[in-house]
Amino acid sequence: MRPLPLLLLVIALAANGEDVQEPAGFWTGQINSAVPETIAGGKVIHAQELEQLLKQEKPLLVNVSNEPKRPPGMSPDAPWLPLPQEVIPGSVWLPGAGMADIAPDTDALFRNHLSQASGRDPDHPVVIYCHERCWLSWNAAKRAIGYGHRHVYWFPEGIEGWHAAGNTTVVAKPWSAATQDVE
Amino acid sequence: MGMTRTMSLAAACLCGLVCMHIARADDDAAVRNERWTELQRAIFPGRTISDGAGVIQLDAPPRALDAALVPFTITLPGQIQIKTVYLVIDNNPGPLAGRFTFGAAADPRTLKVRMRVNTYTNVHAVAEDSAGKLYAVEKFVKASGGCSAPAGSNDEESMRNLGEMKLKLLNEFVPGKAVQAQLMIRHPNFNGMQMDQLTRMYTPALFIRTIDITYADQPVLRIESDISLSTDPVITFGFTPREQGRLKVEVRDSKEQSFLREFPVPGPALPPTS
Repeated sequence: MRPLPLLLLVIALAANGEDVQEPAGFWTGQINSAVPETIAGGKVIHAQELEQLLKQEKPLLVNVSNEPKRPPGMSPDAPWLPLPQEVIPGSVWLPGAGMADIAPDTDALFRNHLSQASGRDPDHPVVIYCHERCWLSWNAAKRAIGYGHRHVYWFPEGIEGWHAAGNTTVVAKPWSAATQDVE
Repeated sequence: MGMTRTMSLAAACLCGLVCMHIARADDDAAVRNERWTELQRAIFPGRTISDGAGVIQLDAPPRALDAALVPFTITLPGQIQIKTVYLVIDNNPGPLAGRFTFGAAADPRTLKVRMRVNTYTNVHAVAEDSAGKLYAVEKFVKASGGCSAPAGSNDEESMRNLGEMKLKLLNEFVPGKAVQAQLMIRHPNFNGMQMDQLTRMYTPALFIRTIDITYADQPVLRIESDISLSTDPVITFGFTPREQGRLKVEVRDSKEQSFLREFPVPGPALPPTS
């Protein structure tokens, strides 16, 4: 019986073979690649804990997946039909918030949204996610921590992990200054 | 108080935007079928598509090692004369990855290309016969990040040797007998979603729009593509050579640059003509 736990350990280590360390600043490498297991100044959250948190504390949810843009030069006949953006219900979708070099407008939008929607409470929980194996959410979580939020959760499994845990999503449009004016 | 009301109002507005439909898992067959229905309407409006089993076959790895270089093999057994094949990567933002039109000198039995795949997706190969009837087959491919993946160290080389081509015959040359040829084209095929690792800026889109292949002035294959085609595309196709003849390849890209190469078959490549 003894070899079994050892075997499981070996399998677990092999499955998690990519040992990724947190970079000192924002991640500037390939966006879709292996991510670390931690985020300094924040907490990593997984699907079941997130389900609990949603019931108990009404955290702010921000999906920071990037938005595909039709490149110039494509044939006018070629269809351009990006998949609708799925989000965890109650989320805003803020494309660009996870870029290492964030556009100043996006930076302001992200900062203001977190500030206003939390009622200027830096202890209000904030959950940041995008896709699995996607650094955008790690960067955006780090950015939110930098804004002074003290309960930032990073959900590295993202939309894929949320679906895999049997949860539903809804379709969102990008959050923008115009959207905020509607409030 | 005011804050609570603002927040619930915001939530109500947000809900108006987002509660249009509820989706379940990415790998939910119903969601995938709904997407394909939407794409059929966009790409083949008003047309009926029959089951392509026996007419066209699509092979792809169920899980791709490199999402920026996913190999696809399209096989046409030949019972029905096919003039055009469409390759649709359902969940790519530009789903029509390629349109392949066979000419008189083609041997359209096997076609191989490498494509970028952005996320888990169904892929459809659709064959159109000479009467305009459509036949489709489907494969599910697990790959993600192919559209934003930087091509990496090859980019500079691809730019320096832009439009350079190589042709290789994969079977023995026998006049009058169909042969498979592999065409390699140096082109970064930037899709505008890749980031330069040094400048941190998106690399502007620059991609192949058309590839026209002729043999002895007879059309072999016309490929219409865009941003799904991989960096440095490698295309395998068939044609039937004679005793002597030249295979000509003309590539045009999204900046209206044109590259022309001629390959005597059999024989070494001629220097570039421009």
